Amino acid sequence: MSKRIAIVEDEAAIRENYADVLRKQGYEVLTYPNRKKAEDAFVIRLPDLAIIDIGLEDEIDGGFTLCQSLRSQSETLPIIFLTARDNDFDTVSGLRMGADDYLTKDISLPHLTARIAALFRRQEAMDQPTSPDSLLERGDLLMDLSRLTVVWKQQTIELTVTEFWMLHALVKFPGHVKSRDALMQESKIYVDNSTITSHVKRMRKKFILSDSAFDQIDTVYGMGYRWNA
Amino acid sequence: MTGFLKQLLSIRFKLLLLSLLLLVIPWLGYSYILEMEQYLSRGQEQTVLGTARALATALSERPELFNESSYSRAENSNELYVYPVFHSLAVDDKSLADWQDYRQYEQHFEASSLIPNPENPLSNIPGEEIFGDPLRFRLMLGEHNGYLFAYFRVLDDYVVLRSRDGLRVDRSDSLRLSLINRDGVFERYIIAPYDDEIIYPYRIGTDIRDFSSFEYESRITGEWRRIPQGYEIELRLPIEMVGNKLGLALYDVDDLDTRRVSAVIATSNIDNPVELGTLRRPTPEIDRIVAGMGHTNSRVQVVDRSQRVLLSVGDIQTASGLMLTEEEVGSGVVGWVEETILHPLYYQVLTRPTTEFVDELYQGGVLDSDHLILSLTGQASINYRTVNNNGNEGADGSTTRILEAAYPITADGQVLGAVIVDQNMNGIRTFRNQALETLFDTMLAILVFTMAALFLFATSLSGRIRGLRNQAEKIIDDAGRITNTIEPSRSADELGDLSRSFASIVDRLGQYTNYLENMSSRLSHELRTPVTVVRSSLENLELVTQDEQAQVYIKRAEEGITRLNLILTNMSEAARLEQILQSSEKERTDLTKVIDACVQNYQQIYPTLEFESKISLSPVRVVGNADYIVQLMDKVVANAVEFSNAGKPVRVACYEDNGEAVVSVANSGPYLDHDMKDRIFDSMVSVRPESKKKQPHLGMGLHIARMIAEFHHGYIYADNLLEEEGVIVVLRIPLTT
Repeated sequence: MSKRIAIVEDEAAIRENYADVLRKQGYEVLTYPNRKKAEDAFVIRLPDLAIIDIGLEDEIDGGFTLCQSLRSQSETLPIIFLTARDNDFDTVSGLRMGADDYLTKDISLPHLTARIAALFRRQEAMDQPTSPDSLLERGDLLMDLSRLTVVWKQQTIELTVTEFWMLHALVKFPGHVKSRDALMQESKIYVDNSTITSHVKRMRKKFILSDSAFDQIDTVYGMGYRWNA
Repeated sequence: MTGFLKQLLSIRFKLLLLSLLLLVIPWLGYSYILEMEQYLSRGQEQTVLGTARALATALSERPELFNESSYSRAENSNELYVYPVFHSLAVDDKSLADWQDYRQYEQHFEASSLIPNPENPLSNIPGEEIFGDPLRFRLMLGEHNGYLFAYFRVLDDYVVLRSRDGLRVDRSDSLRLSLINRDGVFERYIIAPYDDEIIYPYRIGTDIRDFSSFEYESRITGEWRRIPQGYEIELRLPIEMVGNKLGLALYDVDDLDTRRVSAVIATSNIDNPVELGTLRRPTPEIDRIVAGMGHTNSRVQVVDRSQRVLLSVGDIQTASGLMLTEEEVGSGVVGWVEETILHPLYYQVLTRPTTEFVDELYQGGVLDSDHLILSLTGQASINYRTVNNNGNEGADGSTTRILEAAYPITADGQVLGAVIVDQNMNGIRTFRNQALETLFDTMLAILVFTMAALFLFATSLSGRIRGLRNQAEKIIDDAGRITNTIEPSRSADELGDLSRSFASIVDRLGQYTNYLENMSSRLSHELRTPVTVVRSSLENLELVTQDEQAQVYIKRAEEGITRLNLILTNMSEAARLEQILQSSEKERTDLTKVIDACVQNYQQIYPTLEFESKISLSPVRVVGNADYIVQLMDKVVANAVEFSNAGKPVRVACYEDNGEAVVSVANSGPYLDHDMKDRIFDSMVSVRPESKKKQPHLGMGLHIARMIAEFHHGYIYADNLLEEEGVIVVLRIPLTT
């Protein structure tokens, strides 16, 4: 049975373009132009994944509201914010609402589909036993590449897909400096440097939250970041 | 100097200068008062002339008042003419100098006046000279201040004085006086000196030979003195002693042995009360008439045809023509200021009239002036004279003006004399001075008050204008950004209006600037949706079409979209950063480490360029965010690299200076235009030449650098290098304390 993806987007052209691409990928796509219609539909049946724009017609923050109601219906439903808003504040808000990823609209379609695929894979992988070759171990860090999960000192760190890929890029070759551009490429997003910086910062914070002594992610001024073994 | 000039050009001083125009008012007042003085003196002229006319009219047609004969050089020998004397005479001054002006009126008595006398039997023969003695004398009588003055100049070859041994007074040269006093009693007096001396007169009793009947008469005073030709006697006696009959006789004794009276020359028969000569004094009638008009606060004089003064009433020194009250000196500070500061100042200009002047014209008994002569021809005339104020030697050299009016007295078409009325102009002068004092005091007070008020007003005005200017200057900072607003004034005047319109202008300008500043982020936000539409459509198209040729165009279109995306990202970078900065935290950071790491990395990033770093060995600690500092450095170094001349190093320095951390990046390259130095840190300002525009550049880089500098409470600026063609960008952040 194909996965059902809901796209809530007020701009018809974008909505249909995304829908077309995803349908070609074999997904079942449901499209809604505003929060009301989406919520009505979601009451009847939840999709397997939701792509939500933040500004919906008259509601500037309609996407946030929708995300909250969806999250209250399902703890595990993957939610992606796809928006023209690229500021840090909105990113943080979106992620706090429980979204799994926050993407700006300039992401290319192949990247978008890759991310959707990754989210589905992570969800599926949750139910399956971990295969040893998909594991990456670096000291106290354990990354499960198939389930996209991270464990630091026996504690699970909840990372978004973007953060996971960034971390993966850093950890693959410990001690090597990864420039922001490289991180962008690895995590398949296209943003400016300061967004990378804030992503890295957020990642650090998540680690520090579980381990206050964490200092493995180094800033190499003028260059990028480095994972300290 | 320029500051002083600026002060002079300020509104305050301009207003103050303008207020000097107020000085016209005291000038007007001064002119007005001078005019008034003219008018008053015209009035005084009329008054004086009127007085003269009235008096002259009263005296006209009464020729008996001007009885020529009684005033002529008395031919009628038994009448004595008493001249009014207008100055005091001394009887004990051993000379007749003080009589000088009246000498011409002397009456002569000689042998023809010899009168028969029982003691002088020879005297019956007129003209006979005894012992060849040409006895004669000159007599002058004058009246002054209630006294009768007289002098005798006697020519006598043999002066025989009273013997100090004998009691007899009639055996020497002597002067005898007979008069009928006011009670009608006949009295006789004798003066017979021992030597040059103060006279010692006796009243003769019943017998001239009986010394015991004599009585000393103290009221008669005088002096007897010898002169080469004979002797002189000066006398003074109160006028009330004398009725209107008086006789004087000189008894001459020439033979020292016999001591017999050899001659007597008398003005009249002094032994017979009936035959006594009449005393001719200025007509009491005129006196009365003039006295009736004498309270005119002026000096009145009546002269006869030969310009002799018949009568003089009043005193020119006090005849001011006006009844003036002395101004009361104000009490307290105002009075003190008036008295000690202002008035001395005024009287540098004004002349204070004085009564201490001497009217030389009237020293004598005869007046001689043009207007008098004119009036004696029958014409009324007015004359002004200026008298120097003597007496007060060198005090102010001021002068007193005297107004005189002369009016002829006529009878039967003949001019008998004239009335002269004099007044000094001091009254008007004093009046004028008082008026001017009051005017000046008042004007000065008004002037001071007005100027103070104007000054205060101008001060508050210029204060408000300066306040507005300061506010206006603070609106826009050095970089031309609107940082402040204007507090609109609530006052209803033009300045308030200006302030309010300024405030609304700034408000609108602020909105517009805000709009412009947010334009790029808004624009990027707005453009993002259509770009997304295009991009997703292209990507869909790419998936759908298999056409080789179409794929080429799709690729090109995607490249274009990617660049467009980059532009949009850059455009919104500043706005994003601003938001991030608001919620960013700062920590103690050692700048040297950050900069050192940066420089090392730049060396790797730009392998073709050489980087020279001069970094302080001791830590340079600031409170900040290393990430942003790096971002700033990225922007600045990227800029430096872009403009750097090939082969020349980019020099980076980091050190402490004057309590600030300094990071500088210098590169050789084209100079900045002077006016671009500040502007390059503004949003969307780019000074790249066309050749350098390889990729889209929105001029946001240095703007972001400035935002980061300001986030650290520091500042960033660019300057041209002196030692070579190049530019240095300097960041200064306060050190941690």
